[in-house]
Amino acid sequence: MTRFLLKRTGQALVVLFLVSLIVFVLLHQLPGGPARAILGPKATPEAIAHFNHLQGYDRSLPVQYGMYLKRLVTGDLGESYKLNQPVFALLTERLPKTLLLTGLSVVLAALLAIPLGILQAVRRGRLSDYVLTGAAFVAYATPVFFLGLVLILGFAQQWPLFPAEAPQAESVGGILAEPAGLVLPVVTMALGIIAMFSRYMRSAVLDNLGEDYVRTARSKGQSQVRVLARHVLRNALIPLAGLLGLYLPTLFSGTLVVESMFNYPGMGLLFWNAAQSNDFPVLLGVTLVVGVATVLGSLLTDLAYAVLDPRIRSVS
Amino acid sequence: MPTTQPPGPVPSGESPLSGEPLPAHEPLLSVEDLHLSIAGRDRAGAERTVHALDGVSLRLAPGEALGLVGESGSGKTMTALSVLGLLPPGARVTSGRVLLEGTDLAAAPDQVLRRIRGEAVGVVFQDPLSSLNPTMTIGAQVAEPLLLHRGVSRAEARERAVETLRLVGLGQPGERMRNYPHQLSGGMRQRVAIAMALVCEPKLLIADEPTTALDVTTQHQILELIGELRERLGMALILVSHDLGVIARRVDRVAVMYAGKVAEQAPVARLFTSPRHRYTQALFDALPERAAGTSRPLATIPGLPPSLTRRPAGCRFAPRCAYATDVCRTEEPAPRPADDEGVHTYACFHPADPAARPAAPGEARPAEDAPASPGTDADVLLDLDDVRREYPLHSSPFTRRRDRRLVSAVAGVSLTVRRGETFGIVGESGCGKSTLGRLAVGMEKPTGGSVRFEGDDLATLDRAHLRAHRRRVQLMFQDSYAAMDPRMRVGAILREPLVVQGVGDRAAQEERVRGLLDEVGLERGAVHRYPHEFSGGQRQRLGLARALALAPSLVVADEPVSALDVSVQAQILNLMRDLQREKGLSYLFISHDLAVVRYLADRVGVMYLGSLVETGPAAEVFARPLHPYTRGLLETADSAVVDSAGETAVDGAPEAGPAEGAGPLAGETPSAADPPSGCRFRTRCPLATELCATTPPEPTAPAGEGHLVRCHFPLVPVAGSAG
Repeated sequence: MTRFLLKRTGQALVVLFLVSLIVFVLLHQLPGGPARAILGPKATPEAIAHFNHLQGYDRSLPVQYGMYLKRLVTGDLGESYKLNQPVFALLTERLPKTLLLTGLSVVLAALLAIPLGILQAVRRGRLSDYVLTGAAFVAYATPVFFLGLVLILGFAQQWPLFPAEAPQAESVGGILAEPAGLVLPVVTMALGIIAMFSRYMRSAVLDNLGEDYVRTARSKGQSQVRVLARHVLRNALIPLAGLLGLYLPTLFSGTLVVESMFNYPGMGLLFWNAAQSNDFPVLLGVTLVVGVATVLGSLLTDLAYAVLDPRIRSVS
Repeated sequence: MPTTQPPGPVPSGESPLSGEPLPAHEPLLSVEDLHLSIAGRDRAGAERTVHALDGVSLRLAPGEALGLVGESGSGKTMTALSVLGLLPPGARVTSGRVLLEGTDLAAAPDQVLRRIRGEAVGVVFQDPLSSLNPTMTIGAQVAEPLLLHRGVSRAEARERAVETLRLVGLGQPGERMRNYPHQLSGGMRQRVAIAMALVCEPKLLIADEPTTALDVTTQHQILELIGELRERLGMALILVSHDLGVIARRVDRVAVMYAGKVAEQAPVARLFTSPRHRYTQALFDALPERAAGTSRPLATIPGLPPSLTRRPAGCRFAPRCAYATDVCRTEEPAPRPADDEGVHTYACFHPADPAARPAAPGEARPAEDAPASPGTDADVLLDLDDVRREYPLHSSPFTRRRDRRLVSAVAGVSLTVRRGETFGIVGESGCGKSTLGRLAVGMEKPTGGSVRFEGDDLATLDRAHLRAHRRRVQLMFQDSYAAMDPRMRVGAILREPLVVQGVGDRAAQEERVRGLLDEVGLERGAVHRYPHEFSGGQRQRLGLARALALAPSLVVADEPVSALDVSVQAQILNLMRDLQREKGLSYLFISHDLAVVRYLADRVGVMYLGSLVETGPAAEVFARPLHPYTRGLLETADSAVVDSAGETAVDGAPEAGPAEGAGPLAGETPSAADPPSGCRFRTRCPLATELCATTPPEPTAPAGEGHLVRCHFPLVPVAGSAG
C-alpha cells in the first residue's frame, strides 16, 4: 500500500511538472505577448522592449522557464493587472470557497445519487425506474445556467424561500454562517451530478447483481437488503470513484457558471471577471490550480480504488 | 435406497412443517413433477418462453449422493438450483413441488427459503473466482452464514470459520482468513467456497459443476474432499456435472437429464455398465475414452438438442435417435422400471439390450492395431529445438534491470511434428502449452532456441516470407466465437484469409468458401449469417473452416473441443480426423483432456511448468508412462470408463510399472515466475532426491526409441509385473 502511494504520488509530480510547462507555454502565446496585453495596444515599441527586459522576457525560453519555475515554487504567480494584488493571495482567498461549494455539491449529490441508483437497479423496469430515469435525463440535459435561472425564479422570486445571491462573507466560516444563501448554488451544482452519478450507480449495481458472488451471497440465506449493503454496495462504488476523479475538471467549469450567476465569491467568479478584463496572470494562475486539482483528483481516485478494491492494492 | 417411481398425482394439502420428525423411510428431498419455464426474449426481441424443466421427479435419501448429468441446456443446473429458489431472472416454477423434509420449497415464501439457504442446504458453484466477493476477506465470507443463521458472536463465528477452513484443507487458515479471493489459487478458492457452504453443517450439499473450472489434479483433490466431508458430516449430495467421469466415482445414484426431462435414473454402476435409454447409451459411446487407441471414429449423436421454446411432441431424443420409430415421435415415453426393485428407471420405448453391450469398451487396443505411424523422420514439418519463451513480470520503463523478474513460460522444449500426424500436447493450465502453440505458429518469437518449419528457421524469415509462411500454419481456438469478429458475416470471415494472402479473385474465393462449408458440414447459406447465429459446435466447424481456408499443412488446435458437450465434441473430433485423412494435414493438438488427446493423437508430449517431461507414441505413453507426473496425471483423471465387472475404473490405469511413485498428484503447480531448481516437478514428486534439486534431467529413452522422458528416475516397467 505504501509503495502504491509513493508510486502514484511520483507519477502525479511528473504530470504536475508537465502542467507547469503547458501553462508557461500558454503565457507566451498571449496575443502580442504579455507586454502588449499589459501595456495596451497603444504602447510604443520602446516601452514594450523596456517592459520585456524588465520582466526577463528577452532571455532565452529555457532560462525564462527556469525563472518561472523558481517563482512558482516560492508562490509568486505574478500580480493581477486589474486588482493590483498578488495572484497567489487572490487564489488562496478564493480557492477554499470554491472547494466548499463543490464539496457540498458532491456530498449532496453522492448522498442522493447512490440510494437513487440502487433503488432504480432494484426496481429495474418498474414505474419508479422509468420516472427516475426520465428525471435524470432531463436534469442532465439542462444547461447549468438555465437550471440556475429556473431555481432563482422559482425559489427566490416566486416563493422567496432562499436568497438569490450567495453569502458575500470574507471567510469560509462567514459563508457557512449563512446556510440559506448556499442552498440554491449548491442545488444548482448538484442536480447535474446527481443525474449522472445515479445513472452510473444504477448500471454498476445492475452489473453486480448479475454476478455470481451475489448468487453465492443469496445462497447463504441473506436478504436482498443485506446482499445490497454488504456485498453489492462496495463493488458498485468502485466505478463511481473513478468517475468522480475524472469529473473534477467538469465540476470546475460548473462553478464558473454557478458562481457568476449567484455572485459567489469563489475562484470561478474570479476567473470570470479576469476573463472579462484580460487579466492574464489571474487566468493562468487559476488554470494552474485547475491543472493541479485535476492531477490530485486522479490521484485521489487511484487511492479510492485502492481502498475499495483489494485487487488493485496487491497488483501495484 | 429410495425407490424412484413415476410421479403420481400429488396429494393436495399442507405439507408438514420443517422440523417435525420424519418417518425413517421419508426422503430428505423429493422433487415431484417439477415444471419450470424461463421468460426471455429471442434475438429478434420477441418474447419467448423456454420450458426448461418438464416434469422432473427425483428423490434423495438422507446422506445419499445423487449425480445429475446432462449436456448444456438439459436442465440439470435448473433442477439443482430450484431447490433453493436461486433461479435466474425470468425463471419460474409453473407446477410441481420441491419437498425438503416435507416443506414445499417451490411454493415457499422468501423468508422460508432464506432460513434454509446456507443452513440446511449449502451450494458450491462452478467458478470459484466469480462466486466469491472480490472485495471481502474470505474470513468474513466464510463466517457470514454463521452470523445469519446461528446468532453467534463475531469471535465465535471467526473461530468456527477457521475450523471449517482447516477442515477443507486450507493451510494456515488463521492467516488465510484475512486474504482476499484473488490472492488464492483456483483450487484454494474452491476450498473456500466449500467451507462457506459447509460452515453451518447442512443436510444437503448441492455442487453445481464444482470442478469444471479447475485443473485435472485440482479437480481430483476437490472431489475427494467433497466425498470425504460428505461421509464425515453425513450429508446428502447433489453433484451436477456435464462430465460423466466426475460423476462415475462420486455418487450412489445418477439421473441422466435430456431436454428438461430425466431420461434415466439408476445406481451408478448399473447406469455405467448397462444403460437402457438410447440417449444414455449414445452419450457413453461418444466418449473419446471408448475409442482410445483404436482407429475407429467416435460414435456421434447427430444434430442438436431441441429448442425448448415449444414442448416437443413424443420423445425428446427421437429426432437424434437411431432407433426412433413413429411411436417415439408421437407419444411421450413414461419412466418405466428396468428391474424389479425399481431402482433403475428409464423413459424409452426402444431401450438398449443390456446383454448386447460391447464388452469392456475401455480397454485400449494395443498400439499395433493403430495405423502405422504416419510419416518418417524425413517428413518433419515442424521442428522445435530447445525453444524457450520468457515474459517480463511487472515491467515498466522505470523498472530497474535487476528488479526485472521473468516468467519462464516455455523452458527448453524440443519436439517434431511430422507430415500427416497428430501431435498432442497435454498439460494443466499454466504449463505453457498455449504459449508453445503460439510459438509453433510464429505468432510469438522464442527468447531462445529455434522454430523450424519445413526446414526454414522462422527467426530468419523476413516480413514477406513470414507472411507467406502464415499460409502453411493456421490456428484453431477454444472459443471460436470470441475469435471471430461478431459484426462480420461468415462469408467475409472465411474469405478474409484468402483476401489477405491474395489468393484468387473474388469469384474463386467465394467458390473456395462454399467448398470449405461443404467440407466442415455446414450449409452454404451460412455465408450470409453472423457468428452468433450458430451453436457452439457449428462455430467450432467455422473455426476449422477458417483455419483450413489457406490449405495449411499444419493446424495448431488449442483446446478446440473443451467448450463443447460430449456429443458435439465427438462430431468435431471425427471431422478433424476425417479432414486429416483427406488432406494429409498435421495437427498440433493442445488439450488438458487426456481422453481427447489419447483418442486423436499419434504421439503426445506431456508438459509440466514449461517443460516437456515426456514424449512418445500416444498408446505407449498412456499405457506405460515413464514420468511420475504423467503417471500421476493418468491416475488422477476421472474417467467414465467402467470395467466389465461393473466397478468404475481409474482412467487408463497404466498396465504396468512399479507401485512406488504412483498415486494421485497432491499439491499445486508452483509459479512459473519462480520455478523450482533442477527438475521442475521435484516439489510434487514422490521420487525426488537431492539430485533432482540440483540437476535438470536430460531426455533419455529407457523404454526404447521414440519414447523420451526427462526424469532421473523414470518409471521403467519391471519385467514380469505387466498385467
